[in-house]
Amino acid sequence: MKILSQKTENDLKLFFSGFKNGFLDFNKLIANIVNSILLSIAYFIGVGLTSFFARISNKHFLNNTRLQKNNTYWSDLNLKTRDIKEYYRQF
Amino acid sequence: MYILGISCFYHDSSACLIKDGKVVAAALEERFSRKKHDFSFPQEAIKFCLEQAGVTIKDVGYIGFYEKPFLKFERVLSQHLEMFPKSFKNFLHYLPSWLNEKLRFIKIIRKKLKYKGDVIFIEHHLAHAASTFLISPFEKAAILTIDGVGEWTTTAYGLGCVNDIHLIKEIRFPHSLGLLYSTITAYLGFSVNNSEYKVMGLSAFGNTDKNTNLYYNKLKKVIDIKEDGSFCFDMSYFIYHYADKMPSKKLCELLGGPIVKKGERLAKRHEDIAAALQIITEEVVLKILNHIYKITKCENIVLAGGVGLNSVCNGKILKNTSFKRIWIQPDAGDGGTSMGAAFYIYNTILKKERNFILNHNFWGPEYSDDYVKKFLNFNKVKYLEFKDKKELIEKTAKLILEKNIIGWFQGRMEWGPRALGARSILANPCYAEMKDILNLKVKHREKFRPFAPVVLAEKAKDWFDCDNPLPDPTDFMLMVYPIKEDKKKFIPTVVHVDGSGRLQSVKREQNPLYYDLIREFENLTGIPILVNTSFNIRGEPIVCTPYDAYRCMMGTEIDYLVMNKFLIRRSDNYQDIWDSEKYAKD
Repeated sequence: MKILSQKTENDLKLFFSGFKNGFLDFNKLIANIVNSILLSIAYFIGVGLTSFFARISNKHFLNNTRLQKNNTYWSDLNLKTRDIKEYYRQF
Repeated sequence: MYILGISCFYHDSSACLIKDGKVVAAALEERFSRKKHDFSFPQEAIKFCLEQAGVTIKDVGYIGFYEKPFLKFERVLSQHLEMFPKSFKNFLHYLPSWLNEKLRFIKIIRKKLKYKGDVIFIEHHLAHAASTFLISPFEKAAILTIDGVGEWTTTAYGLGCVNDIHLIKEIRFPHSLGLLYSTITAYLGFSVNNSEYKVMGLSAFGNTDKNTNLYYNKLKKVIDIKEDGSFCFDMSYFIYHYADKMPSKKLCELLGGPIVKKGERLAKRHEDIAAALQIITEEVVLKILNHIYKITKCENIVLAGGVGLNSVCNGKILKNTSFKRIWIQPDAGDGGTSMGAAFYIYNTILKKERNFILNHNFWGPEYSDDYVKKFLNFNKVKYLEFKDKKELIEKTAKLILEKNIIGWFQGRMEWGPRALGARSILANPCYAEMKDILNLKVKHREKFRPFAPVVLAEKAKDWFDCDNPLPDPTDFMLMVYPIKEDKKKFIPTVVHVDGSGRLQSVKREQNPLYYDLIREFENLTGIPILVNTSFNIRGEPIVCTPYDAYRCMMGTEIDYLVMNKFLIRRSDNYQDIWDSEKYAKD
């Protein structure tokens, strides 16, 4: 059961919790820096190169052009009940 | 057999537990975590569901997840590949969450829930479709799902027949009616995935005539709509497919100015833009529905997806299409998909007979009189205890009549985004100034937003120009109808600027205490209607526990809290008064 008034924490407890939170923040900062470096490499080499070759071979990953001549923009989905094994997959 | 449905990691995480094809418990995670639209793993909601059923995770036969994560990741990667190098910032920002949680759902549930059973992944729009069809009163119905985006699909239609769902056609990302609505929401300075309903409320202030609304023609440059309702965007007006923001500079130029800054006063132009967006939304939805009717020849329609919460549009469906009956999942947004995933497993994959119709919405936690009394005594709260329900109803109705604002905390909390009489703020609808009193004392919200009326179901047709018979989604506050001209003067608090009201109808079997309260108010005034607005501090989720309710009352200026059989007056408890407005968010 929640209570309305909170007890004041003693100074020692506050010191250690602050110390712990400081380390966690430092940990996050380092992780963010490392992540940013690794992801930047992955982006410019992995995504960049793939995107470059896709462009020169005129391959598009998103249908973001408008085809005015079409009578409809509906496309086939045909999603029906399948065998249970199909639903264990994440794709 | 117990089946647990889960939705999380985008917005509105939720959990739903069903037993032998019937809902046992369902709740949004935000109500427990107190973070609005919380998208984290719904640990607390799951814990509640299992406790409510009196079982442990070992008793759960299947867990259903509301999307196929790898398919969604394919779409995200496709966005980056197509939009390189513009998507760099988004890539850095969002990829860690994909690698750490979204693609590791199985590991997360094994670790956090210690669950060792089967996990089933259901396509997002299939989960939406199941969330509305399988618990509807229909054996056969046409299905329409429209939201922002699932894996690739943004709009889909199909047919539900007994246990089977067949989604026939789709419109794919980046073309999305939900994202168009969100883009204009962002343009008008409101928060995305949160304030779309504010734009819907604002639209009534603008010019709703498409022949004279300048912005209607401007927005038609953005979207090409075919006769069958299918649509396609000119993507140069958007940047949501590669950036954090949604409207492009070109869209801002088209709409005649920059994105509205937070707190900036809205002009007539902005109201017209909201109105134009609402006209286009209705045009698309109604065209799609007429097309679906031609294809399916079915007279029942069920809706789900975030756009299904557009109650202004919903109220026009039966009048403007050939459908005769309608049903909408009360949590039509992503929160509802956990229910859809659970029912899809039970009814469709396992082929068990359908034996449940969702005819009320009270699936959340409940607190006993004993618990509430202990809470009040422990915190030295001054209160009165009603002798019985009769006294509770008579006294509360009288307090409402005397223009007091009442926090109403009774029974099991609601499922979905609406407060429907379990965690509601109630007030007298008969005074024009009540709207300002509510805004000034309690809600502190934008002046253009209307307050909703709750009406006895059998009296709705006397007060509203509604469909006849009254569709079931009105029970969940999902339809807006015009208020009868001769009745408007009696209930000015709930009459929106265009003369409409987003009514909630109540049947006694759904919530006897709530029904009897409105009935008692009718005995006193001749009006079977109250104001019903959500019981929350601005920017916070609706209250869940007695603590949340009491804190909310003391932080706002709600006059009385009726919590189970206890009556608490704010002014009797000075020691706990605080100002919630200092901490209020959007």
